[in-house]
Amino acid sequence: MSEEEIRQEETIIAKAKGNPAAFASLYEKYFDRIYYYLYRHTDDEELAGDLCSQTFVNVLNNLKRYEFRGVPFSAWLYKIASNELRKHYRKTKGKKILSLEEVRIKELVEQSDEVWDESQINKLVDFMKDLPEDMLQVLELRYYEERDFKEIAYILDITESGAKMRTYRALDKLRKKFKIKIKYDG
Amino acid sequence: MGRNEIRLRRHRITAHGAERFRNYNSVLKRHEENRRIKKIVRVFGFFVVILVVIMIIAFLSRWEERSQPKGKGQPKATHGSLTYPPLPSQASLLWLHRQTPPRATRQL
Repeated sequence: MSEEEIRQEETIIAKAKGNPAAFASLYEKYFDRIYYYLYRHTDDEELAGDLCSQTFVNVLNNLKRYEFRGVPFSAWLYKIASNELRKHYRKTKGKKILSLEEVRIKELVEQSDEVWDESQINKLVDFMKDLPEDMLQVLELRYYEERDFKEIAYILDITESGAKMRTYRALDKLRKKFKIKIKYDG
Repeated sequence: MGRNEIRLRRHRITAHGAERFRNYNSVLKRHEENRRIKKIVRVFGFFVVILVVIMIIAFLSRWEERSQPKGKGQPKATHGSLTYPPLPSQASLLWLHRQTPPRATRQL
C-alpha cells in the first residue's frame, strides 16, 4: 500500500469520525476481503455475512477511537473481524474451522521436490489439523491474506519478532514433514 | 481428533457470494441504533448514580440523627441565638386541665 493511499484513507476516516456516511467508500473497498476472511473461518455464507456486518457495525461504533499506528487501516478491520470470530466460537463452543481452497494447497505443493498425489494432500490437511491455533493463524494471514509481519503482529496482538518466529516455526514443521520449500521472507 | 477443522474446497471463492450481504445502509442503521441505545443507557446510568447519591445522603443524615445522644426530656427549641423552653405537650396540658378545680359559678 502506497503512502498516498494511506493518506487518502486517513482523510476518509477523519471525515467518517464526524459523519459515518463518509465511511461508505472504505466499506466498499474492504467488504470482500473481510467477508472472505470470515467465510474461510466459518465455511458458512450466512454466518460469514452476519459476522461481516457486525464487524463493520463495530468499526463504525469505535471509529472515533481509531488511531494510525503505522499499519494500514485494513489491519484494524482484520483485528475486529478476528475478535468477532473469537466471540462467535466462544459462544458456540465449536471447533475452529478453516476452509481452504484446494487450488491454493496445490500451489503450495507445487513448490515441493516430490510428486504429490491425493493422499499426500490429505496428509498435509491432517497435519494442519494438529497445528497449534496460533501457528495456523500466522500461516493463514501470511500466505492467504498476504499480510506483512507488522500487520500480523498488530492483528494478533503480538510483537513483530513474535509473528516472524511463529511463522518460521510453522514453516519449519512443514518443511521437515513434507519437504516443501516455502519462501519465508522474514 | 485434531484441534482444528480443516475443510478443503474444490472451487475458488467467487465475488458474487458476498454481494448478497453487501449493504452499507443496514450497517449504518444498526450503528445509529447502537448509538441511541448507548445514549439512553448513559442517561439512565447518570440518573441511577444521582439516585444512589441521594439515598446515601438520606441514609447518613438519618443515621446521624439516631446516633445523637438523647438529652433529658425534649431538646430545647432554638431560634437564632435565643433558646426557648420546650413547648408543653398535649398530655401535660390535659393533666393540668384536670388538676385545676372548676371555677365557682356565680349564683344569681
